[in-house]
Amino acid sequence: MNTSLKDRVTAWAFMAPALVVLGVFGFFPIGYAFFVSLHRWRVKRGAFVGFEHYNRALGDPLYVALFVLGLAFFLGVRHWVTGQSLWLRVVRRGLEAATLIAAGAGLLGVVGSGDPRLFNAFKVTAFYAVCAIPAEVAISMVLAYLLFKALSAKGFFRVLFFLPYVTPMIATAVAFRIIFSPHPFSLANQIGGAFGLQTMGWLFESRSVVSLALQALDITQYPGWVDAAFPSMALISVVLYNIWVYIGYDTVILLAGFSAIPPHYYEAAAIDGATAAQAFRHITLPLISPALFFISLIAVIGTFRAFNHIYIMRTPGARDTVDVVSVAIFDQIILSHNLAYAAALSLILFVVILGLTFVQNRVLGRRVFYGD
Amino acid sequence: MVTEEEGRVRGGTGGDELPSELGGGRGTTAGPATRTAAKGRLASALTYGGLAVAGVVAAFPFVWMLLTSFMTRGETLRYVYLPATLEWRNYVRAWSEANFALYFSNSLMIAVVQVGGTLLFSLMAAYPLARMQFRGRETIFLIILATLMVPETATMVPNFLTVSWLHSHSAIPWLNNWPALTVPFMASAFSIFLLRQFMRGLPGELWEAARIDGAGHVRFLFQIALPLCRAPLLTVGMFTFIGSWNALGWPLLVTSRPTWRPISVALLRFVEEAGAETQLQMAGAVIATVPVLLLYALIQKEFTAGISVSGLKG
Repeated sequence: MNTSLKDRVTAWAFMAPALVVLGVFGFFPIGYAFFVSLHRWRVKRGAFVGFEHYNRALGDPLYVALFVLGLAFFLGVRHWVTGQSLWLRVVRRGLEAATLIAAGAGLLGVVGSGDPRLFNAFKVTAFYAVCAIPAEVAISMVLAYLLFKALSAKGFFRVLFFLPYVTPMIATAVAFRIIFSPHPFSLANQIGGAFGLQTMGWLFESRSVVSLALQALDITQYPGWVDAAFPSMALISVVLYNIWVYIGYDTVILLAGFSAIPPHYYEAAAIDGATAAQAFRHITLPLISPALFFISLIAVIGTFRAFNHIYIMRTPGARDTVDVVSVAIFDQIILSHNLAYAAALSLILFVVILGLTFVQNRVLGRRVFYGD
Repeated sequence: MVTEEEGRVRGGTGGDELPSELGGGRGTTAGPATRTAAKGRLASALTYGGLAVAGVVAAFPFVWMLLTSFMTRGETLRYVYLPATLEWRNYVRAWSEANFALYFSNSLMIAVVQVGGTLLFSLMAAYPLARMQFRGRETIFLIILATLMVPETATMVPNFLTVSWLHSHSAIPWLNNWPALTVPFMASAFSIFLLRQFMRGLPGELWEAARIDGAGHVRFLFQIALPLCRAPLLTVGMFTFIGSWNALGWPLLVTSRPTWRPISVALLRFVEEAGAETQLQMAGAVIATVPVLLLYALIQKEFTAGISVSGLKG
């Protein structure tokens, strides 16, 4: 490696513009956001208030500490208590259970004493992720497999499936806002009616899907928590839109994964008498797992970043049930003009995303097959 | 229901055209060959049927959007499927009355500046990361990738303050102007990553040959590497264009006057204000869609190829 001074200068000069932009608008903001969050800050900087905003958001610091420490110890136990003897395994399981319960208690405390709007937003985000991602991955898996099998029309369908993804979300979200309108003849109600669904409010419906189902079964007496414990119909409408948009992207990625599998693996399996299901389980699934992992990672981060379409599709009646965290934070900026509190919330969101990515890497990443 | 039926029928005919190795066994006697042939035919019918259903679901909202944009107000209120006559006037009204002409050209200019800046900066940054040897290269690359983890909402408040500061401390105004809308997004880790991955694959002999001919890094990058990077540059350009065209939260924050307001914000305002005028909303939505779809039609091949690669190596 004979790096001359001139080469080094050239290298850094080439990277300089990008590094300046990324530094000023990508890294510096993290520190700056923290600085802002420690002050009172509406239009201009006010008094230093320390962790007051975090206190307001997360409630009692003791619960926060309990949650963080519990989680840290839970993740650490398996490294500290090693060994395979029965006794050690019992101790390990016991410690894991105890730390998990401690973390759970801390989380309950945080939710109980913190900002209810923030936790509602996190709940909505979690509903959103749980409803959208498995459906998205499963459908795109099927479509990618069908595309892989359909030799002749692959290109045509790939372009078609990709259209919703490339089309500006602002345009399609506006269209879906009208498609999912509560009018009895709206497109959603007409299609739903063809499948035997009752006329619904869709994006304007703040009640949960479960209470709507109970109502359809003529059960009018149900506890109040049924609405709080399940996603609202409005959120499900957003999820349907989300699936429509992202299926194409996931399918293209998975199709590339399918196409990269050497055909002779299947030939060898066929010679050994493997059934199609066995071939799928033992060849396709392991070899497709990196692509699956990639799209699920992108999808999880995507739901926590989701903003544009939700901001467009939220309706006055069902706002609280579709506002994900990023929308709630944006409202703090644009409606309340509380820059400091918004900065604190956004850093909390950042930490949650980091944590989730880490957990996802640990849990799913271990199952991914990278060998050649 | 009807669409599914249609899909299966279409799928069936599609299956017959499929050059299947099993399709040859069209014997009249019942035997295993016929059964496998029938099974193969059924499988391909199901394949194309499933794809057709998904295709209809993917395309239908677009068709609906387009049809609605040509309806009269009365037709949208009666929820008919097809407009009796094509109301081109909707487009004229959206374009001129709702001032979409201005917002459209705003968005176009913002996108051009942002795409140009991103392509140039990312290409320049990716080159040394892919093809030059210097200390700290891997570290810098990891640091750049780390920005992918930072959600846009987390940078919004501080970036707004930074841009406001720059607004009052630099020669040109930043707020309500193109710099605030474009400069913060001119370098993206994703673009740098994609271009670096591609440039690593360029053969080393190219550089050797160029150096013998007396070319330096600058000339090599812009005269030899650049034309070879066509496909990833188009992918990055398309992604940046879509991102810029879609941006909603940030422009809401940094544009308080219509002079530089992009089409996304205008469409949102239009939807909130026009309320019941569905056909005008859809005309606006179609206008906002056209440039992106045109671009996609032009570079569709490179774009899908670029995306596939991003998934495989990510």
